[in-house]
Amino acid sequence: MKTKALLAAGLAATSVLALGACGSSSSGSTASSGSKSSDSGGNQTLAIYAWAGEIPDSVIDGFEKETGIKVTVDTFDSNETMIAKLATGKSGYDIVEPSQYAVQLMVQRNLLDTIDKSKLEGFDNLNTKFVNPSFDADNAHSLPWAWGTTGILYNEKCTGGEITSWSDLWDSKYKGKIYMLNNMLSAYIAGLQVQGLSATTTSQADIEKATTKLLEQKPLLAGYNSDNYADLVGSGDACIAEAYSGTTAAKAVQANQDVHFIMPSEGGTLWTDSFSIVNGTKNQTAAYQWLNYTLKPEVAALLTDDGSLATANSAALDQIKNEDLAKSPAVYPSDAQLAKAEFIVDPGEALTYYQDGWTKVSAS
Amino acid sequence: MSASTATAPARGLRAPARGTLLGYLLLLPAVAVIVLLVIVPMAVIARQSFALSDPLLGGTMGGFTWDNYAKLFDPVYAKTMGYSLGLAALNAAVCLVVGYLLAFYISTRPANRQPVLLMLVIIPFLTDFLVRTFAWITLLGSGGPYVRIARALGFDASSLVPSQFAVIMSLLYAFLPVAVFPIYASMRAIDPSLREAASDLGAGWWQTHRRIFIPLSATGIGSSIMLTFVPTLGVFVIPVLLGGGKDPLVGNLIVTLFTEFRNEPMGAAMSMVVLVLMLASVAVITGLLRLLSIRSNRRAA
Repeated sequence: MKTKALLAAGLAATSVLALGACGSSSSGSTASSGSKSSDSGGNQTLAIYAWAGEIPDSVIDGFEKETGIKVTVDTFDSNETMIAKLATGKSGYDIVEPSQYAVQLMVQRNLLDTIDKSKLEGFDNLNTKFVNPSFDADNAHSLPWAWGTTGILYNEKCTGGEITSWSDLWDSKYKGKIYMLNNMLSAYIAGLQVQGLSATTTSQADIEKATTKLLEQKPLLAGYNSDNYADLVGSGDACIAEAYSGTTAAKAVQANQDVHFIMPSEGGTLWTDSFSIVNGTKNQTAAYQWLNYTLKPEVAALLTDDGSLATANSAALDQIKNEDLAKSPAVYPSDAQLAKAEFIVDPGEALTYYQDGWTKVSAS
Repeated sequence: MSASTATAPARGLRAPARGTLLGYLLLLPAVAVIVLLVIVPMAVIARQSFALSDPLLGGTMGGFTWDNYAKLFDPVYAKTMGYSLGLAALNAAVCLVVGYLLAFYISTRPANRQPVLLMLVIIPFLTDFLVRTFAWITLLGSGGPYVRIARALGFDASSLVPSQFAVIMSLLYAFLPVAVFPIYASMRAIDPSLREAASDLGAGWWQTHRRIFIPLSATGIGSSIMLTFVPTLGVFVIPVLLGGGKDPLVGNLIVTLFTEFRNEPMGAAMSMVVLVLMLASVAVITGLLRLLSIRSNRRAA
């Protein structure tokens, strides 16, 4: 009886130790399995870390079928979470999908590999608007995949008319029916642009003006929400909300003819999420296979058809099957609407001014 | 321990020694899990809370500073802290009242029906926490049953989301089972004849509870307060979804510090402050319980 118990305890202890060993050397284990698979030929794997909802299953399935590479996808919902995980240097991911300012940060931290253009096919398919961006000269570290905007989602039944400007988010008529995105830099887009200031400003005075404006707005708000504002606008619980274009906005617009997504007359902002190769990956070949696969027009078109998101691939536009989505302003705002949209970049050292302001706004 | 083994008779000397060794061995997996998953991460956070932050890239740069704690004295953080403590206390109080009544009700049902009632309390919790929170949006939001029923009765009702009421309802719902179980456990141990005796002696409902049930289930009540108050301090989804996210809780603040603000050291400092507050509240509650039991022991003596 006692020996049995002892044995059990010993077993439990060893299993705990084994578990601990696994946890502390996850990158090591990936490396060893990688070399093993290259010995036996085939049986390759690719680990992707991407924004939730930005890689449709159809894209993954197609890639696995074509290449025989086994794909695992983990998702994140903020760039900061993703960077924190990669910064450990042992994430085990091969491909990652940062947003524009995150690319900047990650290049500074040496987390991304340089992309060898000679290994790419179909780079010319990309929309020139997103090629050679300010945050990553010559696309040295990132290939644009999805793009979207920050604008306004509103319910016409509730607002009683057309909405054209950020200033409508400060209209006391809609008191208690206004939502702002629950994200510091997104909230400041509206706070800055509504006063004719640039959303990418690093000037302390400008940022303080925006803080005052946001403090002024808070009593009018129903809340800060980045999760279910589209449902709230759809149901009429909210009249007007600062919103991201893409999946949820497109669904809300499709489901209810009173719901509209617009870019404000002050400009709004543009974002892109790009594929990058994680520095130090052991699966270089598979990583380039992924980049080339996602550059194909028919694959990039699936992002709109199955993900309700805008693709950064110009050649893909003809291949989109769902006409409604291809025409929806909640997915593809017109060039006229995008004319004044600003590209959000990392605020750098000015981040502290935003933080000081946002702390005040949060606690007011 | 060693003193008692030394004075033990020779015959029993080996057995307890082997017993303790076996005991420690059996404890090893649990201790290892606690050390690896609780102590080590907490030590890392404690270390980080004194580190310098890397203002550009986030993360820590090592070094030693008290700044991260000093900055928390900003009235802005104090206000959030106060609000969180207040909400946690309110939730603990509401859970206690409802949990106590529910536990009393269940413990006074026939023995064969009690497990069924307890199961009914648990079953909703097999669904995901987030799904249950969204359910409250539907229940209290416009077009939901609350608004429809109130309008059918002729009241001018509108959506209760977002509101503080919705936050409290959802918190109560989320924490009710952990409030019910400890109280139920201590009530089960109370001799039912005491209740009959109380009513024979003319005690009313309130007197029976004040003089018999509450003192005798004090341990359960104490743990119930602890199990609801402490975790409420860490909640951050409910205030955003049901409260509109205009009044952040400490949990929200820590998330913001770690992510958007790229200030891990300050987030770590805030976490340490919350940890100390939680430990302090546990100490206060256990202290009160001990005091209570000493007093009742004295009275009994």
